[in-house]
Amino acid sequence: MEKITNFFKTFLLLELVKGMALTGRHFFARKITVQFPEEKTPQGFRFRGLHAQRRYPNGEERCIGCKLCEAVCPALAIHIETEERADGTRRTTRYDIDLVKCIFCGLCEESCPVDAIVETRVLEYHGEKRSDLYYTKPMLLAVGEKHEAQIAKDRASDAKYR
Amino acid sequence: MINIEIDGKHIDVENGCSVIEAAHRLGIAIPHFCYHKKLSIAANCRMCLVQIEKAPKPLPACATPAAEGMKIYTASEQAVKAQKGVMEFLLINHPLDCPICDQGGECELQDLAVGYGGSASRYKEEKRVVLHKDIGPLVAAEEMSRCINCTRCVRFGVEIGGATELGQAFRGEHAEIMAFMSDTVDSELSGNMIDLCPVGALTSKPFRYSARTWELSRRKSISPHDSLGSNLAVQVKNNRVMRVLPIENEEINECWLSDKDRFSYEGLNSAERLTKPMIKQGGKWLEVEWQVALEYVANGLRQITQKSGAEYIGALATPNSTLEELYLLQKLVRGLGSHNVDFRLRQSDFSTDSKQTGAPWLGMAVADINHVDRFLLVGSFLRKDHPLLASRVRQATKNGAQVNLIHATDDDLLMPIVHKEIVPPTGMTTVLAQVLKALATAKQATLDISVQEIVQSVTPSATAQAMADSLASGKRVAVLLGNFAQQHPQASQLQLLAQHIAALCEATFGFFGEAANSVGGYLAQAVPFSDAEKHGMNASAMLTSQRKAYILLNVEAELDMQNPQQALSAMSTADMVVALSAYKHHATGYADVLLPITPFTETAGTFISSEGRVQSFKGTVQPLGEARPAWKVLRVLGNMLDIPGFDYNNSEAVRDEVLVGTDLSAKLGNHLHGVSAQAETFDVAGLQRVSDVPIYATDAIVRRAASLQKTRDAATPRALMHSVELEKLNLQSGETVKITQGHGSARLPIIADDSLPHGVVRVAAGHAVTAELGAMFGAIMVERA
Repeated sequence: MEKITNFFKTFLLLELVKGMALTGRHFFARKITVQFPEEKTPQGFRFRGLHAQRRYPNGEERCIGCKLCEAVCPALAIHIETEERADGTRRTTRYDIDLVKCIFCGLCEESCPVDAIVETRVLEYHGEKRSDLYYTKPMLLAVGEKHEAQIAKDRASDAKYR
Repeated sequence: MINIEIDGKHIDVENGCSVIEAAHRLGIAIPHFCYHKKLSIAANCRMCLVQIEKAPKPLPACATPAAEGMKIYTASEQAVKAQKGVMEFLLINHPLDCPICDQGGECELQDLAVGYGGSASRYKEEKRVVLHKDIGPLVAAEEMSRCINCTRCVRFGVEIGGATELGQAFRGEHAEIMAFMSDTVDSELSGNMIDLCPVGALTSKPFRYSARTWELSRRKSISPHDSLGSNLAVQVKNNRVMRVLPIENEEINECWLSDKDRFSYEGLNSAERLTKPMIKQGGKWLEVEWQVALEYVANGLRQITQKSGAEYIGALATPNSTLEELYLLQKLVRGLGSHNVDFRLRQSDFSTDSKQTGAPWLGMAVADINHVDRFLLVGSFLRKDHPLLASRVRQATKNGAQVNLIHATDDDLLMPIVHKEIVPPTGMTTVLAQVLKALATAKQATLDISVQEIVQSVTPSATAQAMADSLASGKRVAVLLGNFAQQHPQASQLQLLAQHIAALCEATFGFFGEAANSVGGYLAQAVPFSDAEKHGMNASAMLTSQRKAYILLNVEAELDMQNPQQALSAMSTADMVVALSAYKHHATGYADVLLPITPFTETAGTFISSEGRVQSFKGTVQPLGEARPAWKVLRVLGNMLDIPGFDYNNSEAVRDEVLVGTDLSAKLGNHLHGVSAQAETFDVAGLQRVSDVPIYATDAIVRRAASLQKTRDAATPRALMHSVELEKLNLQSGETVKITQGHGSARLPIIADDSLPHGVVRVAAGHAVTAELGAMFGAIMVERA
C-alpha cells in the first residue's frame, strides 16, 4: 500500500501544493508587522523604559535621597550624593543613572518609597556617544516633567495590584 | 556561682548577673533597646521580656538577676508574643519613614522591627510629635519624635560624662528628652550619645545626610590626638573620610571616643590642606615639583652644614607625629651631624634630660586607673586634656576612690575632689613639699637628701595634711602629673617631689602624657640627649640661641611652642625654614619651603600611647593631591643628602628598626636620679600667666575641624582673673584689656573668675588670638586697652 502512495506522490506533487497553500494562506492573511516608527505596539502600564524623576504637584522634587535605589541596583548604574538642604531635609546633589549599565529590571522603581524614580513608557531615546546615555538629575527631572501625566496615570492603574 | 538554663543551654554565672548578660555569654540574642553593658539598668523599653519558668508574667531579662535553677525561654510563644506586643507599642509613636531618617541602615529599632514588628500598622490615630532641639554643633536632635525614651543618653551623661546635660522631662505621653543645665550639650564626650541612641533621635551633625552606612568601608586606625591611643574605625567613601567611630577595646577606650577623636576628621578635608610642594622665591610662593623642592631643601641643608656647621641646623616636631616620622627626622638631622632635635615643644624645663630612667609614661595600664583608690593629680586639666582618662578616674571615684588635686585652676572635673589646693604656678612646689613633709611625718620615714632642704623649709598646711592622710590611707595609690606639670618651668622639681610622695605611699607614679606619641618620641630618639656622647639643643635652646636652618615637622610655630613669640622671631631670622606640613598655615610668613605631608589617615605609622602600648596603623585613604607621607619625604631627603641607612621600603621597616630587639618596658621610666630640689622657688614679680591649651586647639587637625571649632570649648579665649585682682587694677569684668608679655600683646576681654588663685591671669595658649604673647608661664601685664 505504501508503495502505491509513493508512486502517485512522485508525479502528483502533493507536498508542493500543500506548501504553496500555506504560503498562499499567509500571503492573504492580515499582516501583524508593525511599521515602526509610523506605527507602535501597545504598551502595558508597567512598561519599563527610560527613567524619570518625578516632582510633587507643588513643584517639590519627590526624591528624599534615601539611596535605596542605589543600594538595590544590580548593575550599579545609579550614583547618588546627598546633603542637608537649608530646610533640614536630605536632598540629592547628584543623581546619575548610567543607561549603558542599566538592565531595566525596575528594582529602583520598586524600592523607591516615594515613587520618585520611575521607568516611563519612553523607549525611543538614543545617544551618539556613550556619555549621552549618562543621565543626570536635571535630565531625569526633565523627562519626568515631560511625561508626568502618563506616569501618574500608569501609577494609578497599577495601584490596585500593589 | 549559680547555674541557670537558657533555651535548654546551661551556664554558670556569678551572683547578681542579669539574665540578658548570661544569654549574651551563651550567644543567645535577646532584643533590647535601653540595656547597655556600660550603663545602669533602666528596664524601661520592655523589649527584652522573656519567659521564666514559674513566673506568672514575662520578665525583663535586663533587670532580672539570675537565680539558681532558673529556666529561661527567650523564644517561647509567650516571650515572642510579649516582645511583639512591646514592638507594636514602640512603633505607635515612632515615625515609619525610615528612608528619610539618617539612622536608616544602622538602626536598632529598624533591625528589630524586621523580626518583631508587624507588616502593617494597626494604629490609625494621631502620632505624638516632639519638637526638634538645637543642642550644639556636634549632636543633632532634629528628629526627637523618633525618640523611644530609652534614656541611654541621659544615663550616659550622668554615669560616664559626669553631668546631667540631657534629661527626661514630663510624664507619660508628654515625656521628652531635653537639655537640662543649659541649652546645649557641651560635654567633651557628647559624641558617644550618637552611638548609644538606638534610633535616629540623636545623630551626628557633621555627618548628617552625607552618606549611608552601607556605602562606607570601615578601616582601622589609631587616634593621633591625646595620649590614650583610642582605636578608631575610619569610615571611608570615594577616598574621603566620612566619619569616625570607636572600635571597642576594653583596655583602652572601652566603647567610647572623645569628641576630639570622633569629629576631628573634618580637619582632614580642610580647604587649607597643602597639596603641592611650594618654594618662596623673591617673596612669592611658587608651586613646584617634588624633585625641585627636595633638591632645594637638600642643597640648602648641605650649604648650611658646609658654611656654618651642622649644629646650626635644628629640627622640631610635634608629639602628634608618628614614631616613623620622628625617627627618620632625628636620623636625618643626626646624619648631617647635628643633635638638635626635639619634640617636646611645650616643655620649658629640660634639666631632667638624661637624668631620667626612661621615657615618662603613665606608670600603669590605662585599665588599672579604674581600680586606684587614692589619686594625687598634679597640674592637670584632666577633663579637657584626657577626656577618657578623666572618665576612668570618675568611674574610680564611684567605687570610693578619693581624688586630691594640686593645680593652678579650679576647673570643674565633674567628679568629687576630696582635697584640693589651687595655687599659682610659683607655689606648686611648696604645696608638694608640704604634702611630702606631712606624709613623711605620718609614715615616720626619713627623706632622701635630695628633697630634705625644701621639705625643711615648709610647714604643712591643713589641706596638705589632709591630702597626706588621704594618700596614706589608700591601698592602691596613684600620683599622676598632668600636662601643666610637664610644661611648668619647675617640672623637674614637681617631678622629684611627686616621685618621693609616690615612694612614701607605695604609689604608682606617672605622667598622663601630652599627645599621641609623647612616649614614642623618646623611643624614636627624637630628643637631643638620646646620644650619650654628644647632646644637642632642646626645643627651647634651639630658639634662644638662633639656628640658621629649622626643619619643622607638623609644627605651627606660633601655636605649638611653649614660647610663640620667641619661636616666631627665631623662624623669621633663620636662613632657611623647611616646613613639612599637611596644611598651608602661618608658616607661609617665615618658611622658605613648604612640603605637603599627609595626616594620619593617609599614611602608615605607629603611636606609642602613654601606657607604653605600641599601636601601628595603615593609611585609610590615598594622599590628597601631591601630598606624601612624611616618612617617605624624609627617606628621600636622606637619600639625596647621601646619609647611609635610608633605604626603607615601607614604614614597617622603619618601625622595626626602632622597636625590634628593644625591651620596651626597660625604656620606660619616670624616676629621676641626680636631681635635687631647691628650697627657693622661681619667682615672678607682679602677675603671672597660667595657660592651658584648649581642648580643640591642641594640634593642627583639630584646629581645622569646623564643627569642633563651633563648640563652647573652642570659643575665643578670654583672660580670666580673680575679682580682687581686677579691683586692684581698677578694671571691670567684661572689659577689653591689653595683655602684654615681652614685646607682644593681645587684646582680650577680661572676666572675673574667683576660682583662680590671686596673682594670676589665665590666658589660653595654642590659639591665634594669643599667639603674639610669650611663654606659657611667667610674668604678664594687664592694662586698660
